[in-house]
Amino acid sequence: MGMLIAHGVAAGMGGIRTAGDLVARMQMTRKMRINEARAYVATKLKISPSDLSDVYVMREVREELDIGIITSVPGCAKGIEAKARIAQLLDIEIASVNRLKNKINF
Amino acid sequence: MEKAEYMEKAAQHIVDADEEAVEKLAREYLIEGFDPIEMIEKGLSEGIRKLGVLFDRGEIFLPHLIIASEAMTTAVKILEQAMPADQVGKKLAKVVIGTIEGDVHDIGKGIVATMLRVYGFEVFDLGRDVPIATFVEKAKEIGADVVGSSALMTTTMVGQKALEKALKDAGLRDNLITMLGGAATTEHWAAKIGANFWAESAGDTVMKLKEIFS
Amino acid sequence: MKKHLTRRGDGALIEMTSEEIMIALEAGTEDAADRGKIAPLSKDDLECLLDIFMDTNRVVSVAHGEEVVVTHDIGTLRLMGDQGNSGVGIPLSRLQGIQVHERAFCSDTMELGHIDYSFKPVKPVIAMEQQEMESALLSTIIPLFYGAMPNLGTYYSPDGPFGNPSDLLPAGKVKEAYEAQESAVEHATRDMVYVGQKLAQVGCDGINFDTTGAAGDADFKATLHAVEKLKKTTDLTVQVGMAGEFVLGMHGGLEYGGRRLAGLYCHDQVKLAEKAGADIFGPAVNTKPSKDMPWNLARAVTFVKACVEVSNIPVHVNMGMGVGGIPVFETPPIDAVSRASKAMVQIAKVDGL
Repeated sequence: MGMLIAHGVAAGMGGIRTAGDLVARMQMTRKMRINEARAYVATKLKISPSDLSDVYVMREVREELDIGIITSVPGCAKGIEAKARIAQLLDIEIASVNRLKNKINF
Repeated sequence: MEKAEYMEKAAQHIVDADEEAVEKLAREYLIEGFDPIEMIEKGLSEGIRKLGVLFDRGEIFLPHLIIASEAMTTAVKILEQAMPADQVGKKLAKVVIGTIEGDVHDIGKGIVATMLRVYGFEVFDLGRDVPIATFVEKAKEIGADVVGSSALMTTTMVGQKALEKALKDAGLRDNLITMLGGAATTEHWAAKIGANFWAESAGDTVMKLKEIFS
Repeated sequence: MKKHLTRRGDGALIEMTSEEIMIALEAGTEDAADRGKIAPLSKDDLECLLDIFMDTNRVVSVAHGEEVVVTHDIGTLRLMGDQGNSGVGIPLSRLQGIQVHERAFCSDTMELGHIDYSFKPVKPVIAMEQQEMESALLSTIIPLFYGAMPNLGTYYSPDGPFGNPSDLLPAGKVKEAYEAQESAVEHATRDMVYVGQKLAQVGCDGINFDTTGAAGDADFKATLHAVEKLKKTTDLTVQVGMAGEFVLGMHGGLEYGGRRLAGLYCHDQVKLAEKAGADIFGPAVNTKPSKDMPWNLARAVTFVKACVEVSNIPVHVNMGMGVGGIPVFETPPIDAVSRASKAMVQIAKVDGL
């Protein structure tokens, strides 16, 4: 596990602590290179790309946008709820969210 | 044709894995009355050395290596017809090799075995997931000069240590060389368990064994 | 002359002067350039690498704002698995493992994987994998891949229906070895597509083909065919990660898109992954335990930089034990890991790790 954490500390974006999951989604769904993905997410979040991995900025942004935060706060979007809001925010398709939508649109 | 040209051509035919051409060349060479041992040592072996480098760099592939080794065998058989009886069929050493107990990764070990055969070693490849006792039995049965084991997993490396002990217990260890390799192993590990040497690649194995047995 | 602490390729702590480090860096980059027929690192790149090695801090890092996506393979086996998977044996469910990665380790993506971590054994338990994936997708936020190895070895004897090329080739049965590998390509492709399609049905974000090419060129060919089919029939993101620095030629004659696969280094592999439709590519460059870390890291960065430069898709370099300049040691020292991370991001300009 040490190696995984060392990579995260040395060069990682920080997952849902910051905006790592959001940038990863743009690489995954649009094949965006890192700078393009960072710029895209930053624009959508209305922050600068360098703030994407700043937990001080991102904690507040994630809470305000209600897209899931790292600590367990009652009432905040969790799991698929957060992903549904992320899909909308980033204007991307998330298969599990679409599946849920299909289930409830009866 | 000058002798030097024969050597060059022999090496090139081996690199090209051209069995027919090297066979024809060997026959012509003998008709000229040149020394057959010299062609093996300076012509064919040079080709094999070049093949080793190309294989290590990913420029030739395993089937090519196999076909080239067959071309080498064919040429050597022809040259042996003009060699003194005590030089015929001479192998550098007898090598027992296998992937250690519990480990099924045998691609790398297979390549090492092939390279060793190509370079003139007599190889007894025991395959994958080989019990320690089988290594010992085979080494005893054929009077092995070398016992080599491969481990690709950190969980199976310990078998290499057990093999060292088993060879000692059987009274064989002092009369043979042990070598080990595989992605999980290092020089430090070989030294720690008392193996004679560690090899990083098939080419490295051949080089180290040739140094000992040539 | 002042000595700097660094590592040997097997992880041992060694000391080198700055001159010795620079000589090793130059030799490492030249080796990669020679083998891969690519450009060596520039003088500036080498100076940057030298600075990374001369930094006296135990842990180094990229500058603020330069961070990249960090993805993980081998599912949750790192937590639950045995030593063979570098696991630490904590008895957790796979769902708990994924959540720990998301909420405690702050992974940017995560993956679900079967205990065997090969595609073939997943087939008979696919419903269980679908169910586990569904549960994980409901309760997590980060993107979830399903990860497994193409592992063509499982299609050869004694584990599969076809003759084993490792036995057939030394026996001189070259034709039979060719046929066995060609048959395995067909079967493995079919199985990987089946598994991928089933997971797409439950909303999985992506498939990670891990350690592709481990069983040679047939392994890589099957993967490329599976990628192509999955991209045509599903919305899955596809990640292709390699097993070694060049594709081992167990067959030697297999092609994809008119290109021979055996012997391809990462800057060529990525173009074929791209052609097949892959979304993310993971190059792997082997570490030589007998060489020092400056030599290994310069060599790895050279290969990966060439790959990043020609790629049109994100490149997430493999950075585990024995690859990417990291020592061949099960629990690699963090000074080595953080230096390799920094170098890959700052010099090779990777999109992720």
